[in-house]
Order: sequence, then C-alpha cells, then structure tokens
Amino acid sequence: MRPCGVFDKSYALDIAIIRTWQHWTILILSLLFLYLFPLFGSYYLISFINLLSISAMVVLGLQIVSGLCGQISFGQAAFMAVGAYTSSILTIHYGLSFWLALPLSGIVAGCVGIIGGAPSLRIKGMYLAMATIAIHFVVIWLILHTEITGSFKGLYPQPPSIGGFEFDTDERMYYIIMSVLIIMTYAARNLMRSKVGRAFVAIRDNDLAAEVMGVNLYYYKLLAFFISCFYAGVAGSLWAHLITVVNVEQFTLLHALEYVGMLIIGGMGSIPGVFFGVLFIRVLNELVMFASPALAKALPWLGSSPAASLGLLAFGLAMALFLIFEPRGLAHRWEIFKASYRLYPFAH
Amino acid sequence: MGKQVRMFLKAALMISLGVVCLTGVASAKEVMYLSLADYTGPIAGLNVPGDMGLEDFIKDVNAKGGVDGVTIKFIGIDTRYDVARAVSAYKRYRRTPRLLMVNSISTGIGKAVAPLIEKDKRLQMVPGDGEFQAHLGRSFIWGPAYQDAFAAMMDWVMADWKKKGKSGAPVVGYLSWDNPYGREPLRGGKEYAEKIGIKLLPPEFFPPGTLKHDVYLTRLANAGANYILAGGVDPTPTNIIRDGYNLGLTKTIQFMTDYWGPTALGIGVHAEALEGTVIISFFQRGEDARNNPVVTDLWKRYRGSMDKFNEVYGMGMSWGMTYLAGLKIALKAAGYEKLEADDMYKAYQKLTGLNKYDIQGPCAYSPTSRLGSKLVKIYRVKAGKIVPITGWREAPNAVALHTF
Repeated sequence: MRPCGVFDKSYALDIAIIRTWQHWTILILSLLFLYLFPLFGSYYLISFINLLSISAMVVLGLQIVSGLCGQISFGQAAFMAVGAYTSSILTIHYGLSFWLALPLSGIVAGCVGIIGGAPSLRIKGMYLAMATIAIHFVVIWLILHTEITGSFKGLYPQPPSIGGFEFDTDERMYYIIMSVLIIMTYAARNLMRSKVGRAFVAIRDNDLAAEVMGVNLYYYKLLAFFISCFYAGVAGSLWAHLITVVNVEQFTLLHALEYVGMLIIGGMGSIPGVFFGVLFIRVLNELVMFASPALAKALPWLGSSPAASLGLLAFGLAMALFLIFEPRGLAHRWEIFKASYRLYPFAH
Repeated sequence: MGKQVRMFLKAALMISLGVVCLTGVASAKEVMYLSLADYTGPIAGLNVPGDMGLEDFIKDVNAKGGVDGVTIKFIGIDTRYDVARAVSAYKRYRRTPRLLMVNSISTGIGKAVAPLIEKDKRLQMVPGDGEFQAHLGRSFIWGPAYQDAFAAMMDWVMADWKKKGKSGAPVVGYLSWDNPYGREPLRGGKEYAEKIGIKLLPPEFFPPGTLKHDVYLTRLANAGANYILAGGVDPTPTNIIRDGYNLGLTKTIQFMTDYWGPTALGIGVHAEALEGTVIISFFQRGEDARNNPVVTDLWKRYRGSMDKFNEVYGMGMSWGMTYLAGLKIALKAAGYEKLEADDMYKAYQKLTGLNKYDIQGPCAYSPTSRLGSKLVKIYRVKAGKIVPITGWREAPNAVALHTF
C-alpha cells in the first residue's frame, strides 16, 4: 500500500513488491510477530492458525487455476487427498523423510492434476466443473480400493522430525506450516506478475484472443492445473502430518465446495482475497462453534442441535449475500480501501 | 465509509454484550460433555434425536441439583460429518478443564480423534468400531461392536432359514456406505458368517448420499441373495428398501438393517415398502421405546406430544445415564477440585452391569471390555409398527475372529 506522493522512479522500484521503508518495517514486524506468536499465543489460536494456513495454501492453488487462469475446479479436495496420501505412503511404507515427502507430495498431486486438467483442453465453464467433480470421485474411489493407501482404514503418518526433535504439537508444527505458507504466498504473488501469470490472465479473459496472440493454451492450462494441484498436494502433506491420521472422509466434495466458496467470498484473481476468504469462512465457523453453546443456553427452546447447526446456514447466507452485494469479494473492498488511503486527505 | 465502520463496530459490540448478558455467569461447579455430532449431514437423522435425549437428560439432572452440586454442561458441535471440522472442534476444547467426555458420533471421526484422546488422557465414546474393542484404549463403544451385531444378525438368518424349512446355505448380500462405518461390520462379521455356513456375497458399497440403489440391489438379487442387510444411517436403509420394493425384490428377499435402520418416523413415509423389514438394535426401538415410561416421561416433559417421538432419543438418554454413573464414581474418587478426565476413564471401567432401564442391555464396560452392552434385540416392521421378535440376546464376539 503506497501512501500519496510515493512514485516509482526506477524500473527496480516499479517491479518491487516492497516499495518503501514503511513497508519493510511492517513486513519485518509482521514476520517477527508471526514467528514469536507460539510463545505467547493460546493453544487454540495456534491450532486455528494452522488450519487457516493449510486452507490458505489450498485456496492459493485454486486462485491460480480458477481466479487467474479462469479454469473452474472442484477437484481441490481430491488433490489435497493425493498429497496427504502420497506423503503418508512415502514416510510410512518407504521410510522417506517428511522433508523429502513434502515437495514430492506436491509434485505427485501436480502430476495427477495434469490428468485432471486435461479435459480443460476441450471443455470449459460448467462442463469443466463437472469433469473436475468426476476426477474427485475417481481419486477417492482409487484411494478406497487400493491396499497401499490403507483403503477405508486410512493411514497414520508420524509428525515430522529433525535429528530427534519431533514436531509433534500444534505449536511446533506451526513453524513449518507458517514457513511453507509464506514461501508459497510469495511464489504465488510473483507468479501473478510473471510472463506465466500474464498468460493465465489472458486465457481467463479471452482464450481465443490469447491464442491468437501466441499464448499456448494447452501448455498454460495444464501448467495452471499443475501449480494449483502442487499447492493442494503440499497442503495435504502438512495436514496429514499435523493430525497424524488420513482417511478419505477428510476430503469430500463438500470441502471442495467450501474452498470455492472461500475464493468467491475473498475475491477471484487476488492473493489478499485468498486470505480474506479463508479467514472469513473459518472465523465464521469458529464463531458459530463458540456462540452455539451460549445461544443454546440463552434460548433453551431452541436446543443445542439447531443452535450448533447454524454454521451451515451462516455459510450459505454469507455466500448468497456476497454473490448479490459484492460479487468481486472482500478483495474488492480492500482495493477500495487502499485507493481511498492513497488519495487521503481527498475523498475517494 | 467511516459511518459504515462505526455502525459495524456498534453492531458487533451490541451482539457481544447481548451474548454475555444472555449467557450469564458460568455455574460454580461444572463438568463438560462435548458432542462432536453431525446435525446437518448424512447422519443427522441419528445425531439430532440422540443428542436431544442426552441434552434433556442432562437438563433433568441439573434441575435436580446435579451430582453433589456439580452440574453438567453439554456442548454440541455440528461437525457436518466432516473429520477435519471435528478434529478442529476437539482442539478448540481439548484444554478445557474438566472436559470429561467426548462423544465422537461417526466412525471416521472416532478414528481421527482417538490418537488425540490417548495423548490427552481423556476418553471418548464411538458408535460401534470393533477395533476399539480389539485394541483396548480410551475409546468406548455405545453398544456391541458393529461386527458383533452383524454376527447376531447372521445367527437370526440361520434360524429363520431353518424355520422356513429351507435346505442348503442361505445366501446373504450386504450393501452399505463406502467408508469406515460401512466396512466395519465385515471385519469379523464376514469370518463369523463363513464359520456358521452362510454364503456371503461380495459386498456392495456406495458413497453416502446416494439416492438410488437399483444397480447394487439388482446385482445382489442376480447373485441369488436370499437375505440383504442394508447399512447406512436412515434415511439410507429406508431408501434402499424402498428401491428393493420398487424392483419387486421384497417379495422374495428378506431385507434387514443394522442399528441405524428405519425409525418410526421413517416408517411413516415408506410404510408399505418397509413392511417385514428386520432391524437389529442395541437400544429399544419402535413400540418398545414408546412403552418405556422412563423414556416417554422425559420426552413429554421436554418435548411435549409423542407425535414426533423418535426412539433414538432413548439412546441419547442412555449416554447420559452412563455419564452420570461415571461422574458419581469419579467425583467420589477424586473430588471436584482434583477431577480430571483420567478419573472418568477409570470410572467408566467400573460401570459393569449398570442398569439403563431396559433402554439397552446392562453396561459391559470393564478393564477388558469397551462394549456399552453385549445385548441386542431383533425387531420387525409389522403393520407400520416396529415390534420386537426376540428378547435381549447376547451378540457373538465377532471382533475376536478378525486380525486388526
């Protein structure tokens, strides 16, 4: 966010993400805060941030394929499952270190994603959405009917470790998850500004025009799927080693829908939008979880079960309201805020 | 924009104050009961009435002053049958003092939460996963394990087959959800069926939420099934049997369901299709439950008319009875100030023989058993009512037949 009067005086400044010393200060202080947070943050908040961060990775991937490249995907939960199972299999059955299994999970999920994205070469829009739903069910079916995945029993991966030091608590896993999230966010942010990112946007805006301009549609569409699934795969691996149990019930179509919901609420095509969307939905869920016992106590005639089930209602309502009143998502609000900040003291 | 922000802050403040005022100050002496239940997903038909029964039971206990002045706080979380959400919810509460019980209502959730429960030295209740009986730990099953009930059903099939004067081995088909719950009965149940000479067809599995089952049923019928055991939580079994009825299979094949088969409410919708269906249960169903004064008295006091009565309500009450009995022992052993979940875990192992007013058989929890009871009862749908066709009978130990 640049205050009024800051201009780009060189090419280096023009392409920089961090432009002013104030930005650097905020960044360094934020990173310090994030890494010191487990020292003073409550266990609940830390475990919640872990969940937020993993969801953010998945939605970052979805942002690349759907928000940037315009390819609708409902397969993100299945690709996350691929990552979770790959990591679990590699560490349990092949004795591989988590640190190697983590990137490999992303690569394997990415490769599966290329297969999943193949229909995008021929179809788009709602048809592609249906094809990715089909991929979801194929992946889940394969997991359930393969011996190495533990079938319906699932797998029990161990927490990561370095030289005898185990990352066996949420507080310890926080450091790994946060570091991976920062790297992946930085990568996604840079990708948007690269030749590849511009090709994605060109395909999203008008694929025929993009092709005429020389953008190789097949290559870039598949690349978008690969990157998107890589993100989901890495997130899956972290999830598996965080909760130390993996089974197919953790990766349902409802999860995939929820990720798409986060993207819509956050705002398509925006990296901050990913965080807004994830934060909004997850906090909404937590608020309902937190408020429902109080609500049930305050309104005894309502009972616990209806009070607790308000979460689904809240999610549906939020989705509907955003689609009606702010289809460009929270990121758009953020852009308006930034614009008004830049113009201050003049009215936006 | 400034106006909007101010309005938002005002609204947030008012809501927060409202919640604080409405909830009031927490009771001085309180213990917690956390229910990780699906209130809006595929097993809501079981979870909602179950937790209604439990909640009313707890209200009743608290209204009478609790246990030595200690009241019970019930916290219900809607997991939406989502393991990730359930684990997150457990983590939300895992460091809550005196959280003495977690009821993980789903086989998948029970499996995912179990390692955390062991680590935290708490205890949880799970529906019917026999693995927790095979590997004794801090997970307690509501009744007999799924595979034990499956074995009891096979015993009934054999008896029925002989009663009908048929020769040879009966052929049994099984179809259920393609998830840990759906497959659990066969882990030991399959071995038992083979042991007693039943020919078990290759099982059919389908995703939860499937609405039509014609393909699976036709395949089982073509393979020569004489009996079909339909799994899934209602309305799934009702829908399966409805499809069987529409295919004309109910005339030649005896349909059966496990614990979560049709309730009186489901039968109200598809009475004709469900006529003759056999249901195995570890808790009282249909007319039995409607005639149990302990259950109906509580229902009438808190829910009013019996028109919408659901027998799963009684099962919820029996969870409450177990918790109450355990709490009494734990409080006596540790006192309120030093009370921890581990005390409750020890107390639960002393509940052998606890009487639950015939809602289910006597409690079988002990240092060597995690079974809520060993008894099952078999019911049949007759003239739109669920009536018992056997008394309480001990379910065979099928868990022991499987290598977990």
